[in-house]
Amino acid sequence: MAEEFEPKIIAFLCKWCSSAGSDLAGVSRMNYPPNVVPITVMCSGSVSPLYIFNAFQKGADGVLVSGCHPGDCHYIKGNFYARRRIALVKELIEYIGLEPQRFKMAWVSAAEGKKYTQIIQDFVQELKPLGPQTKLRREK
Amino acid sequence: MVNLEEIKKEAKKILEEGKVKYIIGYAKSSNILMAAPVFIKKPEDVNKLIWNPTCFQNLVKFLLDEKRKKAREKEPDTRPVGIFVKGCDSRAINVLLQEKFITREDVYIMGISCEDLGVLDEKKIFKKLKDEKPEKIEFDQGKNIVISTKEKTIKIPLKEILAERCLECTSSFPVISDVFWGDRNNRSPKEPFKSLEQIESLSQEKKWDFWQQQLSKCIRCYACRSVCPMCYCDECVVDSINLAVTADTSAEEKAQKIKWIEKSPESSENFGYHLVRAMHLAGRCIDCSECERVCPVDIPLRLLNKKLEKVAKELFDYKAGLDPEQPSLVSSFKDEDPEDFIR
Repeated sequence: MAEEFEPKIIAFLCKWCSSAGSDLAGVSRMNYPPNVVPITVMCSGSVSPLYIFNAFQKGADGVLVSGCHPGDCHYIKGNFYARRRIALVKELIEYIGLEPQRFKMAWVSAAEGKKYTQIIQDFVQELKPLGPQTKLRREK
Repeated sequence: MVNLEEIKKEAKKILEEGKVKYIIGYAKSSNILMAAPVFIKKPEDVNKLIWNPTCFQNLVKFLLDEKRKKAREKEPDTRPVGIFVKGCDSRAINVLLQEKFITREDVYIMGISCEDLGVLDEKKIFKKLKDEKPEKIEFDQGKNIVISTKEKTIKIPLKEILAERCLECTSSFPVISDVFWGDRNNRSPKEPFKSLEQIESLSQEKKWDFWQQQLSKCIRCYACRSVCPMCYCDECVVDSINLAVTADTSAEEKAQKIKWIEKSPESSENFGYHLVRAMHLAGRCIDCSECERVCPVDIPLRLLNKKLEKVAKELFDYKAGLDPEQPSLVSSFKDEDPEDFIR
C-alpha cells in the first residue's frame, strides 16, 4: 500500500500566547500530529502577508497564523491589525484559486494547549484529502 | 460638457500670477487615441492643453517624481505644482495626502468632472475598428465618437468604448480640488463590481486555471509598478538593491538579506509578485487601472486590485481616497471587524 500523504503545516505562533500554548501541549505530553513546523514570531500582527505567500512558495501544504485572543495582545492591539490583514489575505488566496482550507487563523492563549492540539489535528485531517500543494510551489 | 476655454483661461491666470511652478496637463500626442502628458511653464503655452475622453492617463505619478526632485535641490522652488485631475486621479492625491507622502501645499489641484461619461479604452476601439488605423477622431456633443480611417468613417456611442472602470465608477468628480469644472453628481452604477462576477462564479480549479494562465504570461517588466501612483517605495520588496555582493561579502551577510521573490518570470515567482502587489495596494488602489493599460502582455491586473477593493468595502466598509483624514485600511481596526473565519 502506498504511504499516506502527510501534509506539512507552517504555523506562525505569537511569542506571548500561541507559542506558550503549543509549549503547554508539549510539556503536558498531549498527542498531536507531528506535521507542523512552528515559527515563533513576536506578534500575530507582525506576520507579513509575504511570510504566508513565501511559505506556500517553499512548499507548505497549509499555513496557520495564531495569536492571542482579542484584548489579550501583549502589544495591546497587534492581533486586531492581524485580524484585518489576514482577512484580506484569506480572500485573496481564495480568489486566485488556492484551496481556502489551506490557510487558517486561530486564537490560542497560553493556557489552551488542548485547543492547539485540536486545531492541528483538524487541520491535518482537512489537508490530507487535498494532497500536496503544488500551485504556488517553486519548481526546484 | 466642460468648456476647454475656461480651463485654459484659469491655467493662464495662475501661471501669470506665479501661483504655481508649472502645470501638468494633457496635450495632443502622435497617437490620436491617447493624450500625452504636458508640462506647461509659460503662460503662452496653455493653448496646448486639451480635455476630452482620450485623457485617460493618471498624472499623479508625476507628483512623486516632483517630490524626489525637490528633495535633491539645494534651494527648491516651494510653490505648488498645478495638476489636472479626474475623479479617480483626485482620489490618488487623497491617498498620498493620507499617507503624508505629499502635503496639501505641494499641489494646486485643478479638478475636472467626467460628468456622466469617462475616458475611453483604446483596446475597445481597436476591437471595433478591426485593426484599421484611425486617422482622425471627433467627439460629437459628448455622446458619440466619430472615427475616420482610410476607408471609412464610423460613429460609435461613447458608452460602448468607455473604460471598464468608468462604467463601475461611483464618484466621477474630483473629491478634492482648488478649482473645479463640471458637475458634482454622484453616480450609482447598479453593479459596481460587475467585472469580478465572472471569476468569482468559477470553481476553485477554474479560478486557478484562469490566474495561472494570465500570470504565467508576466515577463516581470514592472511596468505596472512604474506607472502606479501608489508605488512609491524607495526600495521595492521584489528587488534587493541595497545588498552589494562583493568578493568579501560573507555567506552570513548574504543569508541575512532574505530575498523574498526571485527575479525569474516563473509561475510561482509571478504569483508571489502579483499577490504582494495586490496586498500592498489593498485600501490604497483607487482604480485608475493604469497597471492594466500599460501591461504589455494584457494581464487583467485591475481584477486583482478590484477584488481587494470589494473585500475592503464589504468587510470593513472602507473606500480608498475619499478622505485624506481617515486612517488607512491596514493601519486601523474596529472592534466589530469580522472574525468568523478565525477559530
